[in-house]
Amino acid sequence: MADFEEPLSDEEKVRIAANFVTHAPPGEFNEVFNDVRLLLNNDNLLREGASHSFAQYNMDQFTPAKLEGYEEPVLITEHGDLGQGRFLDPRNHLSFHFDHLRKEVSDVEPYEGETALRSWRDACDTALSAYVKEHYSTGVCTVYGKTVDGQQTVIACIEGHQFQPKNFWNGRCRSEWKLTIGQSTAHVVGVLKIQVHYYEDGNVQLVSHKEIEESIPVSSESQTAKEFVDIIENAENDYQTAINENYQTMSDTTFKALRRQLPVTRTKIDWNKILSYKIGKEMHNA
Amino acid sequence: MNDQQLDCALDLMRRLPPQQIEKNLSDLIDLVPSLCEDLLSSVDQPLKIARDKVVGKDYLLCDYNRDGDSYRSPWSNKYEPPIEDGAMPSARLRKLEVEANNAFDQYRDLYFEGGVSSVYLWDLDHGFAGVILIKKAGDGSKKIKGCWDSIHVVEVQEKSSGRTAHYKLTSTVMLWLQTTKTGSGTMNLGGSLTRQMEKDETVGESSSHIANIGRLVEERSDSGRQAAEGRSEERLSGGTQAQTTVAPSAAARDAFSLFFCFFLLS
Repeated sequence: MADFEEPLSDEEKVRIAANFVTHAPPGEFNEVFNDVRLLLNNDNLLREGASHSFAQYNMDQFTPAKLEGYEEPVLITEHGDLGQGRFLDPRNHLSFHFDHLRKEVSDVEPYEGETALRSWRDACDTALSAYVKEHYSTGVCTVYGKTVDGQQTVIACIEGHQFQPKNFWNGRCRSEWKLTIGQSTAHVVGVLKIQVHYYEDGNVQLVSHKEIEESIPVSSESQTAKEFVDIIENAENDYQTAINENYQTMSDTTFKALRRQLPVTRTKIDWNKILSYKIGKEMHNA
Repeated sequence: MNDQQLDCALDLMRRLPPQQIEKNLSDLIDLVPSLCEDLLSSVDQPLKIARDKVVGKDYLLCDYNRDGDSYRSPWSNKYEPPIEDGAMPSARLRKLEVEANNAFDQYRDLYFEGGVSSVYLWDLDHGFAGVILIKKAGDGSKKIKGCWDSIHVVEVQEKSSGRTAHYKLTSTVMLWLQTTKTGSGTMNLGGSLTRQMEKDETVGESSSHIANIGRLVEERSDSGRQAAEGRSEERLSGGTQAQTTVAPSAAARDAFSLFFCFFLLS
């Protein structure tokens, strides 16, 4: 450690600071940022060396951004990154500036983006929004239509969170689904992530992720969109069920393998007996 | 400034993913080297195991048996690597420490059926303090890997009459569970919880300090077990709701119930 070695350079210190920031649990960016700020104790260095990490955090977390006049938020993701701190709202054809520290939207302007895939994007967005509304109590989805490596791709991002800092817990799930449209088949790739943090007199976190891959036949836009969303629904339900089953197994089996509820005798320990046992043994050996 | 920085550092350790505790602590110390000793003594880390080659038994490493870069074995009472003038318990306390290690070795065997335990004591002005450590790794059955670390710090204040003492117990349980399966992907549940309790007890022939401490540790676990069974019931009965729950809140509720159950049974 740094006691006996050279102290770290500013560059190395701000890299640690930036790394801490990107690992803030959902809903706790401000607390982690404030901690890091006081520990680094150099605001200029923090601003210059770590501001990329603030943007990185919001894009990783699929942070929802509220646009005035629109009911549904739009997600901040790498797929909507237009550079210079501006992001795309593909549903409403807008671009806007996003302040990563304040989490505020400003400077909203019309933006056309890639029009070629618009009808595919719209069909998927409609189908997906209905699914999210039904299965997530406060979920948000943002759907992009892009050409990726020469392939027509629809990218669907879903985010749902519960922040309960008064009860010392926060949780978020994110899923990212890519539909690559070929001539007769479409390839589906999904990544599902869950992160939950509980911190009353402690620090307990659940981190989980799962990857899915499937193929579906290509037909009309609305039919393919429906099948795409069916895959998403089944996969997300299966994932949730499997996680619950794991909890059950952990509770029934794994835990018991770690510690018994009572000794084999089925009674609590007779401590005087325990203390005299060793002494007896020693006397016997002496 | 340092006090405020220590608060920030401790707050950060409660938020960063516990799955990377060691790296987080190491980075934090690199960032603010002046906090090194304070952080090492206040942040619980997963217990490491070392081998006492003289006695042929494993023991656990923590800040309480550390002096510089060496650690004292509770079996041989020697530092490894050897050092001159390492911190040692007084002769009277060492005798108690030997008894405590024997007693908790049996406790560990009865409840954990395996694993490693160690007890380290140190003198206080009007009494003594100690730490009881237990580490147990699961057998990996049902494809779930688990590991458990218990850290019980006890402070014993002896009353001047010598007939009663005040016991303060601070218990931290660290639990690590990992599984990789087709249905649930990679799932990693881990971290630590800390709870405190205090009690006055009479000290005498049939209630020596070790017996009192042992009963305290066990009592905390038993009340926890009953509470845990209640929580399990709660969780199971609520678990068959329709699928229209937000995954994070369902996952959160279950994660905490489960972890709480584990924790309370330390």
